[in-house]
Amino acid sequence: MKTAIPDSTVDDPRVRPELILGGNDFTTVTDKVAGLMERPRPPRAWYIAFAVSLALTGVLVAMIGYLVLTGVGVWGLNNPVGWGFDITNFVFWVGIGHAGTLISAILFLFRQKWRTSINRFAEAMTIFAVVCAGLFPAIHVGRIWLAWWLFPLPNQQQVWPNFRSPLLWDVFAVSSYMFVSLMFWYMGMIPDLATLRDRAKTKVRQIVYGIFSLGWRGSNRQWHRYERAYLLLAALATPLVVSVHSVVSFDFAASQLPGWHTTVFPPYFVAGAIFSGFAMVMMLIIPARQYFGLKDIVTMRHLDNMSKIILATGSMVGFAYAIEFFMAWYSGNPYEMFTFLNRAMGPYSWAYWIMVSCNVLTPQLFWFKKLRGSIPVLFVASILINVGMWFERFVIIVTSLSRDFLPGSWLSYTPTYVEILTFAGSFGLFFTLFLLFVRYLPMVAMAEVKSVMPQAHLEEGIHKGLGDYWGDMPQQHGEKGGHHRGGKS
Amino acid sequence: MTAAQKHSGTPVQGAAPVPDTGVFGLLAEFQTVPQLMAAAEKVRDAGYIHWDSHTPFPVHGLSDAMGLKPTRLPYVVLAGGLIGGAVGLLMQWWMNAIDYPLVISGKPLFSIPANIPVMFELTVLCAAIGAFLGMLVMNGLPALYHPLLTNDRFRRATADRFFISIEADDPKFDAEGTAGFLRSLGSSAVEEVRG
Amino acid sequence: MQRADITKDNLQLGARAAKVTWLAGAIGLVAIAAAVLLGLLSSDGGESFATAYLTAFVFFLTLALGALFFVLLQHVTGAGWGVVVRRPAEAIAGVFPLFAVLSIPLLFNLHSIYPWAGGEAASDHVLAGKAAYLNVPFFLIRWIAYFGIWSLMASYFRRTSARQDGSGDPALTIKMERLSAPGMVVFALTATFFSFDVLMSRDPHWYSTIYGVYLFSGSVVGFCAVLPLLTLSLQRWGRIQHAVTREHYHDLGKLTFAFVVFWAYIAFSQFMLMWYSNIPEETSWYLRRLSGPWSGFSLILLLGHFVIPFWLLISRGVKRRPATLAFAASWVLLMHLLDVYWLTMPESSPTSLGFSLMHVLCLAGVGALMIAAVTYNLSRSALIPVGDPRLDESLSFENV
Repeated sequence: MKTAIPDSTVDDPRVRPELILGGNDFTTVTDKVAGLMERPRPPRAWYIAFAVSLALTGVLVAMIGYLVLTGVGVWGLNNPVGWGFDITNFVFWVGIGHAGTLISAILFLFRQKWRTSINRFAEAMTIFAVVCAGLFPAIHVGRIWLAWWLFPLPNQQQVWPNFRSPLLWDVFAVSSYMFVSLMFWYMGMIPDLATLRDRAKTKVRQIVYGIFSLGWRGSNRQWHRYERAYLLLAALATPLVVSVHSVVSFDFAASQLPGWHTTVFPPYFVAGAIFSGFAMVMMLIIPARQYFGLKDIVTMRHLDNMSKIILATGSMVGFAYAIEFFMAWYSGNPYEMFTFLNRAMGPYSWAYWIMVSCNVLTPQLFWFKKLRGSIPVLFVASILINVGMWFERFVIIVTSLSRDFLPGSWLSYTPTYVEILTFAGSFGLFFTLFLLFVRYLPMVAMAEVKSVMPQAHLEEGIHKGLGDYWGDMPQQHGEKGGHHRGGKS
Repeated sequence: MTAAQKHSGTPVQGAAPVPDTGVFGLLAEFQTVPQLMAAAEKVRDAGYIHWDSHTPFPVHGLSDAMGLKPTRLPYVVLAGGLIGGAVGLLMQWWMNAIDYPLVISGKPLFSIPANIPVMFELTVLCAAIGAFLGMLVMNGLPALYHPLLTNDRFRRATADRFFISIEADDPKFDAEGTAGFLRSLGSSAVEEVRG
Repeated sequence: MQRADITKDNLQLGARAAKVTWLAGAIGLVAIAAAVLLGLLSSDGGESFATAYLTAFVFFLTLALGALFFVLLQHVTGAGWGVVVRRPAEAIAGVFPLFAVLSIPLLFNLHSIYPWAGGEAASDHVLAGKAAYLNVPFFLIRWIAYFGIWSLMASYFRRTSARQDGSGDPALTIKMERLSAPGMVVFALTATFFSFDVLMSRDPHWYSTIYGVYLFSGSVVGFCAVLPLLTLSLQRWGRIQHAVTREHYHDLGKLTFAFVVFWAYIAFSQFMLMWYSNIPEETSWYLRRLSGPWSGFSLILLLGHFVIPFWLLISRGVKRRPATLAFAASWVLLMHLLDVYWLTMPESSPTSLGFSLMHVLCLAGVGALMIAAVTYNLSRSALIPVGDPRLDESLSFENV
């Protein structure tokens, strides 16, 4: 492996930077990515991480078991504060689950080819985050064995769900999202599973990868429809991903509660979801590219681009905070004004200021190229952003509920150890699934990465500089920039 | 029944006799994308019908080089979306306004604005299922057996090599002539694939 | 596809511009003078003039705001495809100084446009609470700030790009990219508060945090419709015939489609939340728009601003043929006008649509002056940024 990787973050408008560095060609990309899954055993760190995650998952199972056997009284919920950690965690995890589809679908439609190095990773993260998210509404309903009543299935009471409730929209939005993300993820993986099948040395691998690759043989008649299907799925997933967090925001905004009911919630929640999702991708990919030797596939430029998206969405979130505050005053409504002052100066003001400093101030670091190029800064900032986004949901939910219209019914909320451990356990579940993913499935979309490498295109002719993001622009004054690539042509 | 048996049972118009020898066809390997593209254009122009290119990733422009027509997949997706949307709306109308009418928060029993989110989600869901399943069905997947997958060289079709396969049931197929033709296109190896 | 050959293209507007500028300018001035005169003669204290003028002013101004956003977006993303259509966008964004002047009739009529500026404000305790923000001097200060900032931003990006025509210096591109990011922040702030000031405060009791996003989405829709119409006219006049290809039109069509859907999303979000929560102080605004003749108008907006353009623009063929794209773009532009009308008029005319000759005169006047300004701006430099380092990429752009 090359040790020196050239800096592709330099801005030169005359040349599109190369996406994949280190002189890779199709063979080395395949070997590098597939090789990770073909090692007889993963590094020791994987086992340690897996053991910790599995133990935390055990904590999650125990806490849920305790909750089911005892009742929701084991949580710190009370009369005004009927939603606490449960829904905070739900919104937090759903938000995390937005980056995957954003990278796969929206950046695809925007022809951002750099997404190919990170999309598989982010899609996997999306699915595991949605799994964690789906858990919380299911367990907070009380009698969780009746959670299937959420779906329009015939039951012995002959009652149908109330479709005019935002909570039911949520059921449909999150389950559709889960299903579509899963299809998108799996479909993207079929060619790579075929690669693994064709490289498989053991019978078990041949059979398992053989079944899941569905007999894919890279035929262009197949690719032809596959690419169309991918484009259509991207075009469908884009409004879907926006709708999911909009519907989540409706859970709050369709109410009449000050601090919840505000019209900017849908786009603001979507921006916040993308913000936190990208931060989570960043947080996971920094160690992954380090550990698995993927620095030439997930380059500094990828991190640079991601931090710019984090800056943009973080600023949108900060902007929405400001507009909400202004409008609370402008509304002339004393309850609105009180709610916002209470957030900033009331009993939960510590949470509010954690939120503001993590979500609004932290991403401002990314205005500076030097800081965007520093791995420790990126890593710490992405953790802080995730902390901040969790607190954002906590602030919205708890401050508004604990002090609403009637001072006589105010009550504050303190989580119990069960809630805290359940939340910690959900991280265990997330990381367990994630570690299994990096062990057994291709964490970089090999076929897609290959398609954006210079070797995938003709030297001359119809592909020159077609808004592709892979480079090869002719220099300004006549002379050709030539291929700035290592590798063979 | 293997693919080759199936193919050999099909009557073929044209002069070339169909060799009923259990041969699936010929597989030609290419090293680079430009070579493959040039070869695909020539195979297309030579008038072959039952042939295909195999690449580890979608090669931009190859469908044109092969002369493929646009796929009809978008219509499947459109149909899926329309069905999903209609089912979504009718379901909500029937369940909330007809079968179990219940007044909630002063909203009409059938309130379109409140029904849009679920209708939208089902539209997208069904359209996406249409795209996914439509792609699989049109591509003949899942297919757990294919003669090409028995070829060792073909294993690199999903990694770093490019192939053109011409099937034996193509009217213009002729074991000797076609192999020579493929070699003349710059193929680094031409092999017979048995099915 | 090869890089488009622009060596034979006519890249200058030339003498044609002066003629159009003078003619359109004269028509504009006459129409506005007629509208003012009609207003002075009417017995309503100038209210019909002021509201009609406001509609026209906001409609055309939003196109320029959309253009400014487009220019900023091109730079902030380092986009390659849109280089050949950036000049027309820069020219449209260059009309802010004109609109600063055109706002004078509005500023003289604040009392008949905004209840908070009139006599009844003193007796309304809600308005008294908002007086720190909604008062005439502060409004004027903000107004000057908006137009000053927008004029400066638009002029900076237009001039820098024009400077690059001669030198081809890539450092200028980097400089514009650097400034476009904070430019976006400034744009978001000014455009949002402008929307609160100019339209939302028409009903000063009502408020909606998404209002700025709503007006923004409509502005971009309007601009996306104007841009292909403008480049098509330029090509009709024999300019930039090879530089702008059907690939660019296809992409502009996609952008229009995307923002039409975005507009619908924002409009639905605002409506849904107010309809669902059913809080009287919020629903009053929708009640006005959903009763009497306005209910039909709202339905037309739903169909015309979303459903019809959605199905029109989803087709690849429509976006790639100049004639069909021109039709779709004109339709969308008309709908954006209806949208602005729908935002502006019901407050002063709740029981009728209130359309009159005054609207025709004001639209013709402001529109003609805008055309004059845009043609003048276009004539000041080449019609495409010939020195842009990404010009080649744009010229050989092809949709996948």
